[in-house]
Amino acid sequence: MKRRDFVKGLAAATATGAALGQQKPSQATTPVPATGTVDQGTMAVSPNAASSTPAQARMQQMAAFRSPNIPVTPPDVVASTDAHYFTAVRYATLVHLCEILMPGGDGYPTALQADTPQFLDFHVGGSPADRQTMYNDGLDRLNADAMKKFNIPFAKTDAKQADAIIRPFLKAWINDHPPREKHERFIALAHRDIRTVTMNSPAWATAAEASGERTPGVGLYWASVDPGGQKWVSHGAPKASAPLTKQAHS
Amino acid sequence: MAEKKVDVLIIGSGHTGGMAAKILTEKGISCTMLDAGPMLNFERDRTLKPASQLPFRGLDAPGRHPHIFQATEFSANQWVDEKVIPYNYPAGQQYNWVRIRSVGGRSPFWGRQSFRLSDYEFKCKDHDGFGENWPISYKDLESYYSRVEGIFRVQGHTDGLPQYPDGNFIEDNAPWSNAMQRFVDAGKKMGVPVTKPRSALGTGGLAASINLLIPDAVATGKLTTIPNSIVRKITVDKHTGLADGVIFIDRHSYREMTIKARVVIVAAGTLETTRLLMISEIANSSGVLGHYLCDQIYGAGIAASVPEARGGKGKRGVIGGGALIPRFRNLETKTPGYLRGYAVNVSSSSGPMDARWFMEYGSALEKKLDEYYGSGFTTNIMGETLGHYENHVSLNKQVVDAWGMPTLTISTKYGDNEINMAKDMVDTTAAMAEAAGFEVLVRNYEFNPPGYSIHEQGTARMGDNPKTSVVNKWNQSHDIKNLFITDASVFVSAGWQNPTITMCALAMRASEYLAEEMRKGNI
Repeated sequence: MKRRDFVKGLAAATATGAALGQQKPSQATTPVPATGTVDQGTMAVSPNAASSTPAQARMQQMAAFRSPNIPVTPPDVVASTDAHYFTAVRYATLVHLCEILMPGGDGYPTALQADTPQFLDFHVGGSPADRQTMYNDGLDRLNADAMKKFNIPFAKTDAKQADAIIRPFLKAWINDHPPREKHERFIALAHRDIRTVTMNSPAWATAAEASGERTPGVGLYWASVDPGGQKWVSHGAPKASAPLTKQAHS
Repeated sequence: MAEKKVDVLIIGSGHTGGMAAKILTEKGISCTMLDAGPMLNFERDRTLKPASQLPFRGLDAPGRHPHIFQATEFSANQWVDEKVIPYNYPAGQQYNWVRIRSVGGRSPFWGRQSFRLSDYEFKCKDHDGFGENWPISYKDLESYYSRVEGIFRVQGHTDGLPQYPDGNFIEDNAPWSNAMQRFVDAGKKMGVPVTKPRSALGTGGLAASINLLIPDAVATGKLTTIPNSIVRKITVDKHTGLADGVIFIDRHSYREMTIKARVVIVAAGTLETTRLLMISEIANSSGVLGHYLCDQIYGAGIAASVPEARGGKGKRGVIGGGALIPRFRNLETKTPGYLRGYAVNVSSSSGPMDARWFMEYGSALEKKLDEYYGSGFTTNIMGETLGHYENHVSLNKQVVDAWGMPTLTISTKYGDNEINMAKDMVDTTAAMAEAAGFEVLVRNYEFNPPGYSIHEQGTARMGDNPKTSVVNKWNQSHDIKNLFITDASVFVSAGWQNPTITMCALAMRASEYLAEEMRKGNI
């Protein structure tokens, strides 16, 4: 339905219309340099060579080359992510939480069909310690509550049992202020994450495309403005004792 | 080697650096402008993309910008990475320092709300006894505001409120939607003014120094702009005591270079400006450099639903549009619990509702979202925080940035004044929303950490007394007469207003003063 293209920044788009024009020129389509043509490294240190007629001709050819139009596909369409971070019990709890919170419908995928648990395992696994702790403690709490109330793991609860465990901790919130109480906070943030990851998945994008809706979740993406700066930040300034020359790197 | 010396060297190319460049070059003065970041290339750097094609499905890389709540995966690359230029704060005193380094500074990305300060701000101490008055009054800045508003093409409505001075507007006479009119009426009954927002339209979708100010300077042929130049020190002639240039580092090569200048203008953004002055060990005979940091609290507010608009029935005229509640507390009467006041951003939308506003999940949540679709209404606080002496920054020489420069320790916190102000705002706007017939879904009394508003002000404040201020009323250093500071570090108090238009007006005024002093040969 039309209202499915909702929630700013939370929806996705076509899986195949990707990032054209961002590929580097294919090696196969660039002219093979003639024997004796100077390479770019030589040109950089030898202005005379750079100004030679063959070198200028080659540079002009390369500058005129335009990116080939090769459709690309997000990996999620054909590949999956194995879960590595959460323990087996926590992961089973997360999977069930995803099933309960984002069951899909109206032709849109469930959180499980969108590989949301696997994605969150990857994302939380790479997160700062406080987020990892929040997830681990929150999943443990869900499981503990299920054991206490129904004597079964959360992963085995039915919808009614799961609701009895989750609902007391549901709180509405706005802006950057999820609830302060620890478990309410976990429920709020995990719910947000599960919705975001599901609705921004390629599977959701495909469903939107199939239903004929406009591409959802489109934003103005900033590429790295100056990647060269990052290189220096990573490697640090050259030291006098280690001159940074072409030879030093080769 | 030939002696090179520029007339005016401007450090920073944001709104105030750009304004200085425009004014000075148009008066025939050559300027060289340095920026620590690269030149932006909108065609190369930005593209429309769906979130499903981003590497982290919109969540961004884990832990990438822990203090930039505004960062999304779409915008993550535009912000300064705090691992590159670190800062720190004492335990329990979180500060969100939100920075951008590229030509134009933060100006291509600001919120564009454009409000004049009034004498409730300029003469704040006279009004309530706290802090200091500015050394200027509204009258001193009024004509500059008008010129700045003309450049930025500010749209607004003439309201005739003393705390919300009218300006040189593209008049907004559009009628309120029915829902907003009810909110306006509810405010009237409670003595709360609800006005049209005031916002810079700019040109071509942008209201930045790079499209409204710097091009005028370029057109004079008298501006030299050098990106990727990280100024690490302002140098001073030991014989004259005057600033005589800067030492900067090329961002890519790390090559250190020197520029000699007759005048130096610092416009690096409040805390970067103060950091540079501290590293350079200048302009601080008063001892107040780094102190009186202030800004505005954001984040507290309500979310509500307009009943008749639900289910997508909010056609044109039923709901939609924004409003502004200018400060109304502590003007002619005294409100218990806090000094100064707050403004409120009000918004209504016929679009989708936010899932976080409902205590539901799964199919029940989807049903709620459908049922309430198109009925959203929100209020958000912009509250003045108090510039206490204790709210300050200091240099941390133990931690340096990627270019070897000492970093900042930012020590500031909010207190009861802000807590009580936020509570009043939420209770008041919730009562107004209910009086208008809306259903209040969420009340949030919590506000964001200092710095979040990206309106950091103070730390090099202006004043008539060189013992208690860093610059005079012309933005000129008390200590070094050929050193000017044009950004919001010179603010004496924060006010509730977004600072940009005031920053630009001050920079325009300071630049004209400087040009005249140079013409007279005084500088």
